[in-house]
Amino acid sequence: MATPGATEAPAKVPAVEIRGLVKDFAIGLRGVKLRAVDHLDLTVEAGQVFGLLGPNGSGKSTTVKLLLGLLEPTAGQCRVFGVSSLRVEARREVGYLPEAPYFYRHLSGRELVHFYARLCGESGTGLGKRIADVIALVGLAEAADRRVGTYSKGMLQRIGLAQALVHDPRLLILDEPTAGVDPVGSAEMAALIGRLKAQGKTILITSHLLGQIEDICDRVAILDRGRLMVEGAVADLVNRAGRQSLVVEEMPPGELAALRAWMEARGRKLLAVEPAGRRLEQVFLEQVGRGKGEGETRP
Amino acid sequence: MRPVRFSLARVGLIAGNTVREAARQRLFNLFVVLALMLVLGARWFRDFSFGAPELRFLADCGFGAMAFFGSALTITATAQLFFSEIENRTALTLLAKPVWRAEFIVGKLVGVAGLTLLFCGLLTVLLAAVLWTREGALMQEFPDNFAQGRVVSYAMVAGAGAMQWLKLLILGALVLLVASFAQTQTFAIVTGFLVLVICHLQHLALAAYERSGSLFGMTASAAIAWMFPNFQVFAWADSLAAADFPGWGQVARVVSYGLGYVGLGTALAVFCFRKREI
Ligand SMILES: Nc1ncnc2c1ncn2[C@@H]1O[C@H](COP(=O)(O)OP(=O)(O)OP(=O)(O)O)[C@@H](O)[C@H]1O
Ligand SMILES: [Mg+2]
Repeated sequence: MATPGATEAPAKVPAVEIRGLVKDFAIGLRGVKLRAVDHLDLTVEAGQVFGLLGPNGSGKSTTVKLLLGLLEPTAGQCRVFGVSSLRVEARREVGYLPEAPYFYRHLSGRELVHFYARLCGESGTGLGKRIADVIALVGLAEAADRRVGTYSKGMLQRIGLAQALVHDPRLLILDEPTAGVDPVGSAEMAALIGRLKAQGKTILITSHLLGQIEDICDRVAILDRGRLMVEGAVADLVNRAGRQSLVVEEMPPGELAALRAWMEARGRKLLAVEPAGRRLEQVFLEQVGRGKGEGETRP
Repeated sequence: MRPVRFSLARVGLIAGNTVREAARQRLFNLFVVLALMLVLGARWFRDFSFGAPELRFLADCGFGAMAFFGSALTITATAQLFFSEIENRTALTLLAKPVWRAEFIVGKLVGVAGLTLLFCGLLTVLLAAVLWTREGALMQEFPDNFAQGRVVSYAMVAGAGAMQWLKLLILGALVLLVASFAQTQTFAIVTGFLVLVICHLQHLALAAYERSGSLFGMTASAAIAWMFPNFQVFAWADSLAAADFPGWGQVARVVSYGLGYVGLGTALAVFCFRKREI
């Protein structure tokens, strides 16, 4: 998945362009300032899956809100497909899932998605079907007519995703989409992101769950205290290229030594020998009835 | 780039959602029940009758209930419906769509206007029904009071109800203005009630200042008169006889006075909300 995505966008306008972005929050009464974003420069090319990583309070959500025009920058600027974030037009091509989303409790899931779809100017006869489709896509078909007030945390994330997808935007901004979602849901989310990427969508995703990010992102940027620490392709950053891991049944020490000698004779080097324990996540996924495969939704 | 224009359709969607939220919260129902009790109670908890003036008393009670509960409803509902969006962070998702902030504010106001229209309409119809039946009964009992037939003009009743609604609309716009910059719902509600009192009493302050004759007094009175609408101009309930109709010119003046404040309040609310951090 780590290849730069095939873009459908006609011009080479980056999906997201952040230049010299600074955001200060006034905290306390005597004009004390907290710098949440500190001279940030970032570019997300159209078609990429881009991970914005960082510890708590590093400014990920603030960056996202600046990008959506929900906050005004202290300095610098953001552009979405070349349009300044300060303009309403910048939001036309964007689907946004806020962190720890919370929606109108008084609406059912279907009504909620309908409301947001209408706000985005969607209408017509196909709308009902489109809404049902996105709801099914996020795996909420059964709960669609229940009130959002009764949804669990993970269900709120799912309906939030449906709401972000309903107008078929070119850019998706997902702020911690897997927070509170069970491993099955996270794996489904990862598969869904893969499919959206294949459709040519650009996806900006923030998280501190590095395991998942590593699997789904083309590029990542790591923030700390509002500053960009490192940015690059995932494959380069983790230096995956040029290495392989082989999982074999347990070998007696003698055979292992022989293998090592066999490899050294061919100029290869055995870098590590360690027990290949399954990750707990894998055990969980097997037990609840899904391998870590892609595609299909829960039965 | 195709511009996103201010859209009445989106305003309508936001307003509709606001009304739906209020309806499903049942806050609105509570106020309707309370006011109904007062309107009906005015009639049914009395066991004496005194002819035509009784109708005046009934009307006063009815419009009093409408003004009192209507104001309380407007202030709490406006503040609550606005802050529920901010505090539950639903405004985040909403304003991340191609939606103007002005559409959000106007949508909230239209939603509250719909709510109060429902409230005033319901109570006016009910009050008219109570007056009608009571008038019928009194005509039998005190025929000499009703030598010329019915004394209540039901057009006037409807007009008085409409004036109540206009007043609540102004109040809603002013509360929304406070909410647009206030940090908490409580602040908005308390300030809303304060504004309500000032609007009702501003003519007294005005008279007192004008009598004082000092330059400071004159300036202060002018400032208050300009800043706060005078809610007394909307009170029609004094007389419900057709002969006391103030004339269309006066009605037009009062309506444009009221709508002027609604427009001003909304414009200021949009201005304050424009850069608010969500
Ligand atoms: N409205 C605000 N007023 C004051 N300070 C704020 C505000 N919003 C965020 N901050 C501060 O800005 C910094 C960055 O916050 P932000 O929410 O962007 O972090 P984050 O990277 O998303 O963290 P998390 O992983 O916990 O979601 C934090 O120190 C936070 O306290
Ligand atoms: Mg965050």
